[in-house]
Amino acid sequence: MGFGEYPAEYNAKVHGPYDPARWYGKVDTPLAQTKLGELGAWLGRRQKSPQAVTAAVSRGYWRWLHKYVHPKRSGLTPFLQVIAASSAFFYVLNYTKIKAHRIHKYHW
Amino acid sequence: MLSRLALRVATSRPVVLALRSSSTTAPKPAAAAAVAKEDGERDLVNFPRRVRPELPDKVRLGIFPEEWFQAFYKKTGVTGPYMFGTGLLTFLFSKEIYVMEHEFYTAITLFLFGTMLYKKVGPSLSEYLDKRIDEYEAGWAEYRGNQTDGLVAAIEEEKKQQWHAEGQQVLFDAKKENVALQLEATFRERQMTVFNEVKRRLDYQVDTQNVAQGFQQKHLVNWVVDQVQKSITPQQEKDAIKQCLAELKGLAKA
Repeated sequence: MGFGEYPAEYNAKVHGPYDPARWYGKVDTPLAQTKLGELGAWLGRRQKSPQAVTAAVSRGYWRWLHKYVHPKRSGLTPFLQVIAASSAFFYVLNYTKIKAHRIHKYHW
Repeated sequence: MLSRLALRVATSRPVVLALRSSSTTAPKPAAAAAVAKEDGERDLVNFPRRVRPELPDKVRLGIFPEEWFQAFYKKTGVTGPYMFGTGLLTFLFSKEIYVMEHEFYTAITLFLFGTMLYKKVGPSLSEYLDKRIDEYEAGWAEYRGNQTDGLVAAIEEEKKQQWHAEGQQVLFDAKKENVALQLEATFRERQMTVFNEVKRRLDYQVDTQNVAQGFQQKHLVNWVVDQVQKSITPQQEKDAIKQCLAELKGLAKA
């Protein structure tokens, strides 16, 4: 699979129009249904190449788009979610500076 | 000649191509079934076409997916997730992991005014946007409907033209037959003319011969009669009359 190409598993004759939110490879047990003991094996089966990680993030992004952005009567939700997520992200980024604003010395 | 060429082209052209088979909108169930029947490889059970939903998935408090609350519901009931959120926030606040600096109070103000705006403007704005999206979609649907109607009309027109072309063939045949009839009629007319002319000439010959023969006969008879009359002398006439009288007397006696 080169840059800008469909995944190797995708076959237009079987799968129809390409859906960027879908995983077209072999279906594994979902993480939520995996037993704790099998977690190691489950993680071992994951692809961890940068390309696979990027593809997974892209699929997640497209799932989010289909879920909240693309519906016909989409509302304020996706904007609020982006605002909340970016707030949290930048809060973590700036945490070392924000920590200086603590007003109590002891916490535990 | 050109019209015949056009005719041949029109009749040999295949029927107009089918409408575009791949469409960006989800087909209706019947159409989907037809597609599934059409190409056997297509797996519509595990890979159905994605349908654009009318409404987005449900969220609570503006941002949190409903599924997260459902995951909590099985273990903790309805208030569980809210209690978890409150507890987590309390924990973060109390340990100053989440530090309440100046930005936090700005955020509270922003949140308050945002909520007020949402409550004030939200309903009318959403109504307006709903109306607009309906108009927009109706516009595209109308465009698409017009396109399909136009194509269907074009197909009908094409079929009609082909039908006309077939009619032209019949017309050609009729014209050919007509010309053949005219040729035949002219041929027969000329044959008749020839016949009449020949007959007229032959009749003339016959008439001429008849007239000449008649004239000769008449002339000969006249000549013979003349000669005979010339040869009869007055003496002979008198003798003949005497003879006749004598015979008449004899008859009278008897």
